[in-house]
Amino acid sequence: MAERSTISSQRRKALFVLLTPITLLLGAFFLIPLGIMVVYSFLEPGLYGGVVWSFYPYNYGRIFGWPLGGGEEFEPLYIQIILNSLYYAALTVIVTLVVCYPVAFWVSRMGPLAKNIVLFAITLPFFANLLVRIYAWLLLLRPTGAVNTALLSLGIIDQPLNMIFTEFAVIVGLVYVLTPFMFLPIYASVERLDWSLVQASQDLGATPFQTFRRVILPLTAPGIAGGCVIVFIPALGNFIVPSFLGGSKVQMTGNVIERQFLQARNWPFGSTLAMIVMASVLLLVLAYTLWMRRAANNERLAGAGHV
Amino acid sequence: MSKRRFSSGWTALHIYGAAFLIFLYAPLALITVYSFNSNALNMAVWTGFTFDWYRTLFGMQPAGAAFDAAFTENPDRIFGVLRNSLIVALSASAISTVIGTATALATARYDFVGKRIYQALLFMPMIMPDIVLGIALLIFFVGVGFKLSLATIIIGHCTFLSSYVYIIVAARLAGMDNTLEVASADLGAGPVTTFRRVTLPLIMPGVIGGFLLAFIISLDDVVITYFIAGVDTQTLPLFILAMVRRGIRPQINALAVLLIMFSFVVASAGLYFRSRRN
Amino acid sequence: MKWLKNIALTGAALMALAAGPAQAAGELHLYNWGDYINPEIIDKFSKEYDVKVSLDTYSTNEEMLAKIQAGATGYDLVWPSVHMADIMVQLGLVEESKINQSKGFENIDPGALRAKQDPKADFCLPYAWGPVGIFYNKTVAGQDFKSWKDLFDYAAKNPGRVTLLDDLRETLGIGLIMNGKSVNTRDPADIKLAEEFILKQKPNIAAFRYDVIPLIEGGDMAASHYYVGGVLYVNKRPKDLGFVIPEEGATMYQENVCMLKTAPNKDNAKLFMEFLLRPEIAAQNSTMLTNGVVNKAALELLPPELKNNPAINPPPEVRAKLQIFEDLGADLKVYDRAWSRIKAN
Repeated sequence: MAERSTISSQRRKALFVLLTPITLLLGAFFLIPLGIMVVYSFLEPGLYGGVVWSFYPYNYGRIFGWPLGGGEEFEPLYIQIILNSLYYAALTVIVTLVVCYPVAFWVSRMGPLAKNIVLFAITLPFFANLLVRIYAWLLLLRPTGAVNTALLSLGIIDQPLNMIFTEFAVIVGLVYVLTPFMFLPIYASVERLDWSLVQASQDLGATPFQTFRRVILPLTAPGIAGGCVIVFIPALGNFIVPSFLGGSKVQMTGNVIERQFLQARNWPFGSTLAMIVMASVLLLVLAYTLWMRRAANNERLAGAGHV
Repeated sequence: MSKRRFSSGWTALHIYGAAFLIFLYAPLALITVYSFNSNALNMAVWTGFTFDWYRTLFGMQPAGAAFDAAFTENPDRIFGVLRNSLIVALSASAISTVIGTATALATARYDFVGKRIYQALLFMPMIMPDIVLGIALLIFFVGVGFKLSLATIIIGHCTFLSSYVYIIVAARLAGMDNTLEVASADLGAGPVTTFRRVTLPLIMPGVIGGFLLAFIISLDDVVITYFIAGVDTQTLPLFILAMVRRGIRPQINALAVLLIMFSFVVASAGLYFRSRRN
Repeated sequence: MKWLKNIALTGAALMALAAGPAQAAGELHLYNWGDYINPEIIDKFSKEYDVKVSLDTYSTNEEMLAKIQAGATGYDLVWPSVHMADIMVQLGLVEESKINQSKGFENIDPGALRAKQDPKADFCLPYAWGPVGIFYNKTVAGQDFKSWKDLFDYAAKNPGRVTLLDDLRETLGIGLIMNGKSVNTRDPADIKLAEEFILKQKPNIAAFRYDVIPLIEGGDMAASHYYVGGVLYVNKRPKDLGFVIPEEGATMYQENVCMLKTAPNKDNAKLFMEFLLRPEIAAQNSTMLTNGVVNKAALELLPPELKNNPAINPPPEVRAKLQIFEDLGADLKVYDRAWSRIKAN
């Protein structure tokens, strides 16, 4: 009895130690700034940036189309921009996932030395500065760039392809920049994969597809989920890639929010857009985790039924 | 039969992996080639081979005759901003790795009131658009009288880097059962020993992955850093962003190549010593 | 051996993580646009007065204002555009420097005293000005450009070879100029006309961006809406490149140097402002920036290819067609909406 209580008090102490740093960090340096911005989203824009301290509900109205007042107009525009960004972010997630998932298996099945070398080779490019790498893509994709020159001299095309400042360039740039975000979590879970389960499934006569769907996919799902979330979120807020590689013709919420602070001097509206984006992402993440838990429960129930 | 199927899949994987590496390295190859381009005006047009950009980085006189001060940067300044970037990235990613890992352990191994709240809260610094977090932090730091410095940049980076580390380590911990840890505790090991001898080695790939990701993000962050940087604490990305109106200077290509080579040497040494130890 | 020193310094700094910069007596902290001062003149000043000078950069007025408004940031001198200098004087962020009583101020072109809040330069010193026009590659385009009409006609025939600035007021400004309106109009109907004009051109426009010089120079793009700073490149390759102030008129910018109220090194800041008044220094600075010069004595010292350049030193009838942006206060919102619609459609 006494022993159990010391263990539980020890556990409580350990939990306290584990949670204190994050609580202090986020409490002071995230929640307070977040609070500032929540308050700002309900204030009137200052003429020269900043805010005027009077209640002003029209920032939200400007996005959703009600209530009209304070010189704000109904703009379905902003919802359209948010949806557009969600589309780009989702597309980026899918492409990065397709690119990274097989590579994670490739690496995980290597010998220890080869594995370390390839892992290292995958992270190495990301130590060169981000802007330099994006700039390099601009040079690769431009009309007189390396890709067009190569294709022209091989006779595959007879006119330079117009790749730069297109949606294609934006997706290439986002995928390139966010690859490690997807690869690292997937690799962390693939590497842990118990191959004896895969073997067992094959021995029991499952087709490769069945093995993949019933064994490999569920076992690597946490890594996939983690990777998708941390690719989706920065992709949604990125404004450097759309402006460098998309020629700023592709507009994402990140660009609009940035402009509210740095050109239009409307901080409250920028904060409001940020709040809406944060709320919608949180909802998406929440829905996703609920769905995952339901799926996991169903799986467990189904498994129990079979037994 | 199943073996054969597996091996043909293995070949396909090899090709796929090689293509992936080409995708990753194409821009780097380009940067490396252009870092030897003698065209000072425009790195995109090849005019000849030169070592000048490397030479000027190290404070040596350029060999080329047509050398124009308008297109080069003072090497002291380049190394100054690089130094700031490395200090920030190393400290911020180390601190965030500790904090993020601790949090992941707490949520994976313990049940406590408000766990869901913590989990949701941890997503939020990543979702908050950079510019909003940057300006909010600026208002906060100046409001409470913090002097803007490298320290404020480090703190600012930790707020969102911890979340990235948390997600990677939590993905590693998810579904990993705690039988080994329970066994270790049953055998009388204290929590610290159990953590050091059992848990840490198990989650190490996740921790290293989290650290690397945090390091990369910190090294590249532009927007948040901009707002919370003080006098003379400019970092490399801010420095490069300020020069894009005229195009990136050739010296920056040389610097990028050196950075990659430097990381290559450090990591190879690490790999070598690890393989010797095993 | 300098590289050894650099490596040693980097190492030392990495170890002494917490150590901040030493507070030496002679310091000066500049906060300027990227690529907007000749580093050689900073070195000269530093040597002559034995002052350690640091330079940080920004890329929009608002970015700078947000930081300065937050409180004491440690900077001494900033380079706001004229309308931003007006705002900053009104907000009480700028120190009265009395630069107009310094030796050499008589050389400043009275026409450059554009700030409404500071008509006699009691606060800020006019620094440089320049038009925003068309920077182009003759060889690639196969033609010269004289007007905005030329630019858009070319774009219509060759879609995807022309870029405009990613700046809401500059680019909507072209639309206003093409409709014969003031670039400072507050009338939503005028702004609507400008929006429609730019939207009509958008399918032919390759990109909205600032960073176009390498693309024009390398021949990937034929022409772009760009600042007079492009002349630096034109003068290196006059046969291939060109810069022109369009016939219909154009916008112009001007920045002033202002001493901040919170400046920690006011004496050195004043010294630096006076240093900039020296004709030979102003000329050396403008030679690299290829900007318009506000110092009449410096204009005489410029190399002939700049002094006689119609973009850098335009004749009075061209100057008369240049418009400078004024602050629009809350009406900026109308421009922002128009710009968002242009980008989204």
